[in-house]
Amino acid sequence: MVINFDNSATTFPKPAYVKKAAASAMEKYGSSGRGGHYIAAETSKAVYSARETVADFFGAEPENVVFTLNCTHALNMAIQGIMNDGGHLIISGMEHNSSARPAAKLANDKKISLSVAPVYPEDKRTVDSFRHLIRSDTKAVVCTIASNVTGQIMPYQEIAELCRKNNICFIADGAQACGIINVKMSDGINILCTAGHKGLYGITGTGVLVSDGKYKIKPIIQGGTGNISQSLIQPDLLPESLESGTVGVIGIMSVKAGIEFVKNIGIDRIFAHEDRICRRFISELRKNKNVTVYRSPSAEYVPIVSFNIKGIKSETVAQILANQGYCLRAGFHCSALAHSQLGTDTGTVRFSPSVFSREADSVRLANAISRIEKK
Amino acid sequence: MIEYIAEMPSYTYAVKAEKVLKARGIRCEIKRRDEGCGYNLHVYNKTALAILNKSGIPYKLKGTEVQ
Repeated sequence: MVINFDNSATTFPKPAYVKKAAASAMEKYGSSGRGGHYIAAETSKAVYSARETVADFFGAEPENVVFTLNCTHALNMAIQGIMNDGGHLIISGMEHNSSARPAAKLANDKKISLSVAPVYPEDKRTVDSFRHLIRSDTKAVVCTIASNVTGQIMPYQEIAELCRKNNICFIADGAQACGIINVKMSDGINILCTAGHKGLYGITGTGVLVSDGKYKIKPIIQGGTGNISQSLIQPDLLPESLESGTVGVIGIMSVKAGIEFVKNIGIDRIFAHEDRICRRFISELRKNKNVTVYRSPSAEYVPIVSFNIKGIKSETVAQILANQGYCLRAGFHCSALAHSQLGTDTGTVRFSPSVFSREADSVRLANAISRIEKK
Repeated sequence: MIEYIAEMPSYTYAVKAEKVLKARGIRCEIKRRDEGCGYNLHVYNKTALAILNKSGIPYKLKGTEVQ
């Protein structure tokens, strides 16, 4: 018995529809945007069609959809590509290392100045903490839409509005939100970075950067783009300017299929299903007085639950559960800032269901946790 | 008939242009460039070019051919 509750790392299993799309892509496609022969043309059309699917899903233009290797890749391109001329950057105190590390590297190299905005359970306080950090040279704000540790949904629309009023580029990390809540560029997002392999149900090695076209993103990687090849200067038009080298066509087609799968079920239904499982799981956990659940009544959450058992390290708890077939992630979840804010100095155990998860399994898991506590 | 050859900045824009024109019932074709990497869009009336301009699709008019 293996039951996966680590879907915020990567959704597993994948829908049959996605598996079929990936297998079919392997049979049919070669390189996209290169050559004029039959295979190249069919592949290029398919990749464009995937851009259209992503663009439609987030409310963007197809030419502003860039396929990446993962969300970290997208965030690095966005952060480094926007901040390459220096300036002040604000990130939230809930950022994953995919944002925090590139930001810290730029700051440590003295290329930018960096501020970290504390996050609170109350949206207004969080927005105020961003507002107070804005300076005349603030060029960009990076904020996750939902924390990968607690699942807390950030007041990203309000932060986006704050950015718009101050002419600041708003970069959103949608890794834990896309496919779970209805994220749109019209929420005020200038650059949306997300994973293809989480809530969008694509295969691993996939990510997306979506731009509203307002801010120029300087490429951090140069190379073949399939156009203007006689020039040694990197083309500056999206999406090719940020897609040097052969794109991962099989993964891209899996993301297209994954989005179609999500749309077919409906984001609201997916959220409701996973949220119901989380609420049941929490209610079971809270029967144990030694279990701490990292949720506040003042905040809203995507379907992620972080918890600890008093006196037992998170890694130990996850290992005991793994021995019984339950897959959960323990430790710091690559989010040092978030754990620093939460005061969880030995990390947490994270539970994250998917559309395929079952409530009964979450109850069985809670019972298994209860038995650990009693040991 | 005059054929207008629009040099497209990328395959992505070539397909976007093709879709915009075909949605209006205007015939066009994406062809690989004779020299260097890249794609041209072949259209057969000036209205097509006006639509591309209006749609904000970047291109460079490379030339015309009489068919």
